[in-house]
Amino acid sequence: MQHTVSTKTLVKASISAVVVAAIALVTFILPAEYNIDPTGIGNKLGLTALAQAAEVETTSLETTKGTDEFQTIEVTVPAGRGIEYKFYMKQHEKMTYEWLTDGVPLYFDLHGEPEGDTTGYFESYVIATTNEMKGSYTTPFEGSHGWYWKNKSDKPVSIQLMVKGQYEVIGLKQ
Amino acid sequence: MIKVLTYLTIALLALVSIEAFAHGVDDKTRAFLEQNNGVQFIPFLYIGAKHMITGYDHLLFLVGVIFFLYRSRDVLLYVTMFTIGHSTTLLFGVLSDIQVNAYLIDAIIGFSVIYKGFDNLGGFKLCFNWQPNTQWAVLIFGLFHGFGLATKLQEFSLADEGLITNLIAFNLGVELGQFAALALILIMINAWRKLPSFQRFSTVTNTALMSAGVMLMGLQLAGYFTI
Repeated sequence: MQHTVSTKTLVKASISAVVVAAIALVTFILPAEYNIDPTGIGNKLGLTALAQAAEVETTSLETTKGTDEFQTIEVTVPAGRGIEYKFYMKQHEKMTYEWLTDGVPLYFDLHGEPEGDTTGYFESYVIATTNEMKGSYTTPFEGSHGWYWKNKSDKPVSIQLMVKGQYEVIGLKQ
Repeated sequence: MIKVLTYLTIALLALVSIEAFAHGVDDKTRAFLEQNNGVQFIPFLYIGAKHMITGYDHLLFLVGVIFFLYRSRDVLLYVTMFTIGHSTTLLFGVLSDIQVNAYLIDAIIGFSVIYKGFDNLGGFKLCFNWQPNTQWAVLIFGLFHGFGLATKLQEFSLADEGLITNLIAFNLGVELGQFAALALILIMINAWRKLPSFQRFSTVTNTALMSAGVMLMGLQLAGYFTI
């Protein structure tokens, strides 16, 4: 059936097979797949970008989905203006939160708007004026939930918002 | 000219291509698998066929197996051994929800490619004065190939409803894909065998096959140890 080669040929073949594979692995395959680049050539060829793009995709998908650990979000309310920062949550999902400003108190309304609603209906969970607040809530319905902050002062105010739980970030609505 | 082209095509089959890095289940397939309910015979048939045609590690092994098989009867026999092997473990693996590490299995599949290239060079007779039974080898490696197929399907929680029918459809699809790929491979290798270069370049080709097997093994083992 198959012809047998000489021992010398076999040894040469085996060694060259391994050497070629090792080079391919180290310069192309490992950098592109796993961001492992011992020679730096993968980086120069732009292959490590492939592995890094894949990594970024998976982590950013995770953070928008909601976490077991607090996620910190920075929001700035311009002087004399109000903003909304919202999260998409299904019914009976829970969010635990803490937020604080640099000292300036803000009027806020933590509320939820039902998904698909066209009447403008919303339900307020907490309304107050303060510079820091913490607590948690469980949504009564599916929809967009979060804060309306009003800055009545004449300077912009930064808010540090920390959230954790089951949500997807919608973000700022001006 | 044809010599060069045929040689290049066969060599390319043995070298890793960029597209081949996606070996696994692509995103559209994944979305389908996760959302489907009940019996979806043709879709699973198609997915099985597509998986085999793009399954370069399975194909490389097959190329190695049929490389020196000149009679249709032999080709049929060995391919049947491979089919029995991988079908058994594909069905068994998915139905019994067997838990094997996909990277390890794929590394073994890579090793099967090294084995076949080495065997085609007469390596076992030369080094160990012993020729492992090639039919048994194809059957046993076929079992591992099947586990590899199973792990890819298992990555998704498949609906229990209609699972057996869908699984059979997938298996059937794998065989159809294998048949199609094999037809192409056989046409090319038979054309090549008519040329004197076949004997001369068979050594280089099987060396390239071994090399591809090492790359495969390295790729999968790296995944096992880093991810």
